[in-house]
Amino acid sequence: MNLKRVAAIASKEWREILRDRLFFSLAFVVPALLMVLFGYGLSLDVENIPFAVVDQDRSAASRDYAYRFIDSRYFSFRGYAANQRDAERALAAGDVRVVLVIPPRFGQRLAQGREAGIQTLVDGTFPSRAMTTKGYVTAINAAFSLASVTQAVSRVTGMPPDDVAAQLTPIALETRYLYNQSVTSIWSLAPKLIMVILMLSPPFLTALGVVREKENGSIFNIYASNVSRGEFLAGKLLPYVAISSVNILVLWLLATLLYGVPFKGSLLFFLPATLVYVLCTTGIGLLVSVLVRTQVAAMIVTMVATMIPAVLYSGLIIPIVSLGPGARQVAELMPAMYYTDIVVGCFLKGVGLQSLWRPLLVLSLYACLLFAVGYALFSKRPKT
Amino acid sequence: MNDEIVIRATDFGKRYARHAAVCGLDLAVRKGELYGLIGPDGAGKSSLMKAVAGVLAFEEGRLEVFGLPVGSEREAERVKGRLGLMPQGLGQNLYGDLSIEENVDFFARLRQVPAAEAAARKERLLAITRLAAFRARPMKQLSGGMKQKLGLVCTLIHAPDLIILDEPTTGVDPVSRRDFWAILAELIADQGLTALVSTAYMDEASRFTRMSLLHEGRVLAEGAPQDILALAPGVLVQCRVEPQLEAISRLAADFPQCEAMGPDIRLFAAGLDEAGARAAVAQRLAGLPCQRLDVMEPELEDVFVAMLSRQGAAAATAQPVSAAVANAEGLAIEARGLSKCFGEFIAVGDVSFQVRQGEIFGLLGANGAGKTTAIKMLTGILPPTRGEGRVAGADMKQAGALIKSRIGYMSQAFSLYLDLTVAENIRLYAGIYGLDRRRRDSRLGWILDMAGLHGHENDLASSLPMGLRQRLALGCALVHEPRVLFLDEPTSGVDPLGRRAFWDILFRLSRVDGVAMLVTTHYMSEAEHCDHLALMFAGKVVADASPEAMKQEVIAEAGQLYRLQADNAAALVRPLQEHGFANVSPYGAALHVLTREPERLRKTLAGMGVPADLRERPIAMEDVFVHRVSQLEAASRKGQP
Repeated sequence: MNLKRVAAIASKEWREILRDRLFFSLAFVVPALLMVLFGYGLSLDVENIPFAVVDQDRSAASRDYAYRFIDSRYFSFRGYAANQRDAERALAAGDVRVVLVIPPRFGQRLAQGREAGIQTLVDGTFPSRAMTTKGYVTAINAAFSLASVTQAVSRVTGMPPDDVAAQLTPIALETRYLYNQSVTSIWSLAPKLIMVILMLSPPFLTALGVVREKENGSIFNIYASNVSRGEFLAGKLLPYVAISSVNILVLWLLATLLYGVPFKGSLLFFLPATLVYVLCTTGIGLLVSVLVRTQVAAMIVTMVATMIPAVLYSGLIIPIVSLGPGARQVAELMPAMYYTDIVVGCFLKGVGLQSLWRPLLVLSLYACLLFAVGYALFSKRPKT
Repeated sequence: MNDEIVIRATDFGKRYARHAAVCGLDLAVRKGELYGLIGPDGAGKSSLMKAVAGVLAFEEGRLEVFGLPVGSEREAERVKGRLGLMPQGLGQNLYGDLSIEENVDFFARLRQVPAAEAAARKERLLAITRLAAFRARPMKQLSGGMKQKLGLVCTLIHAPDLIILDEPTTGVDPVSRRDFWAILAELIADQGLTALVSTAYMDEASRFTRMSLLHEGRVLAEGAPQDILALAPGVLVQCRVEPQLEAISRLAADFPQCEAMGPDIRLFAAGLDEAGARAAVAQRLAGLPCQRLDVMEPELEDVFVAMLSRQGAAAATAQPVSAAVANAEGLAIEARGLSKCFGEFIAVGDVSFQVRQGEIFGLLGANGAGKTTAIKMLTGILPPTRGEGRVAGADMKQAGALIKSRIGYMSQAFSLYLDLTVAENIRLYAGIYGLDRRRRDSRLGWILDMAGLHGHENDLASSLPMGLRQRLALGCALVHEPRVLFLDEPTSGVDPLGRRAFWDILFRLSRVDGVAMLVTTHYMSEAEHCDHLALMFAGKVVADASPEAMKQEVIAEAGQLYRLQADNAAALVRPLQEHGFANVSPYGAALHVLTREPERLRKTLAGMGVPADLRERPIAMEDVFVHRVSQLEAASRKGQP
């Protein structure tokens, strides 16, 4: 490998990138933009669920029941509906996603110690949100039931309500969320977005950069000279890896400063590990670029090859453990999942090489494999 | 000349999937030669050149460069340090965002030329190519000719022994083309370089010391220009006879290579000498008044066409179009002060011309001269910035839709749907122009007759050879029987036989059906087919007359064209220019000199000790264009001191 030739190619490439304003801004602006757009747009928290109440009882008990929801931060009260038909119309229009129907004589039945049913209508078009909503409703309902029973027992036995409550729930569940105490989804999302963006941006830049030379014919300068394949690829990819390295820092800053995600790990482990991941995804771009001829094809192939694994098989939305066995095998073949372990570990768990050497090793091997295949398929004397 | 062989191909063959691009090709290029590969698109030129440069794998035969085989990537690497490749396409291998100097520096670093040597060579090459003044300008802002010169500098920066230039002059204006050839000849003479150069322009064939004519992957003829001329002995006859139509149909019976050139008829009398040709033509034309009859030496293109016809590659001869001569009165196209500006850039500036009904009007110029923009304005596709135009009796500004129903337009890309069959394409265009069923069927038949497409009705357009595809596109443009036809570079990429057949159809359309035609082309040799010409340069019309009148004007201003046969002709260019012969251009082993002082030229040559083998030659359209543009450039230089 002749370093002078590598430097000649790298500096030529760098100059071209600098002068192509569009390409240059795409290289730096798009990753940051994605981080901002996804970060604000892709909230998985289920909060402020709009709901309405159809109160057919209009008693103190029914108001008390409704206030349990109105006061909750998970629900956002949109008013009382006159009747069930109005409520259903609001559901259909998407104005509310939950409707509580409190039947007539709700308070009376409760006072008599009889069972009282509450009908809950939940918008089921988005199943995971509907399930979470149902969980909230169940929890609030249980708390209300418990309070009612406590009151009744206290009234009958004359015991203080706190003692009754302790008797009624002999086992108190104490949950402490580790790594993300307040279970804020952006804490988990922002690090994973770094994973997604570094999966998309480096291959795009690389594939477009190499294919651009193929498409306009300047690749023949390389073919026709004594530059070796390794020298060309090293010089060609160096500027793109450098750009992505800058983007690593930018994304890290956005995650910690803009979204306030705590970074508990060590940058000394995180940055080199991320660089390995960038090399790995750059390798995907290289592989795409040796297989296609036009920039349009490069964009489409890169998009399919990176977007789907980054979004579906990475643990971004669906945890890997929740995937079916087939999908999990697919995920295990893709690099995204391993980097998710690293980035989440570094940000939230504060773990380093000791716990994360395995995914790092897999990524390193992956990167080596991609470069080896790209190198082998790149020919200075192609058949067409 | 040295006998050392630099490139040797033996039974060379290259296939792409099932299609054979080249097969059974033999070739030997000697050291110091300017060797030409001539042929239309798809003849196999690029495949051969890329294989020689070691950048394309091939399957059949053997290829040696500098005596070393280049059958594998490893073998090819051994010769790459000694050769330079300039691939096809204007500035395609250069980097648009880098300046001239940065481009050259990159190639020097890539080729590991020592810094001092690279700097010295860069200065020398930039000086020879006259690019030094523009060294900081980004490549993408250069003209086509400058891009090609920069490509040449980059290819030569590591002082290769062999350079391979793939169609370096395609799409470049004639002045820059001539300049390019002069620089190339000078460098070859200076440095003992060997060059393998391809071209699609037949009229450039005489620039080479030796050449191969390729057609469909095979060599049709090989050798020096005079060897090739000897392959098809005969003379060229140009005459003016009225009525032209009848004369041409009589002559075509005896002379298959017979074509209309504006008001003249030009034919190749194979195997005849001057007296024989005069007699044969006179006998055929008996009874028709002959205003003029000249006998000339044939050009290489005539020989190529003769060779191609002999190969049985005869183009399907088109049927004569309807017999009744249509009314051909009045103006068909009129442009008055037509201008188009894109921001600061003036694409077309103050262009005026007139085209009569039944006339073939040629708009000539290089890529970027403004031809396509002018056509787009006249067809109502693009609104002009200033000026006005009338087409087929309608003002194009007010009657865009009306104009479109009266004109036909055939674009550079042929605008066919390649996944549709021939008949489907024609029916589609009939539908677009709103023809009813009966008229559609009759036009379908007419187009198949006209284009010689019978038997191809159900072939996909993509499977047709270029020549047929081009005639199908013409048919589609004619489906609604327009009175005015616009043809934008209709012959790009078509082989000479196909081009001739195409021009034959255009001639009949104009003479018989009275269709007015505006044709753009960058093939200067095709310009002679036109009745009237406008030369465009940098958005302006720089000359507007018949081809004959244009030539006469140049002869009156600059004198006759002489061909000077001499050893090491390229080395004489500089001394002759220093003696005041401005218009000197190297052609292979000869020079072309345009001068009014042949006697002084003889004396100067005698003074230099060169045997003066001077012969007068007919002036070509290219000479006219070069003369006019050089004049303009000189005038604009004087205008701004």
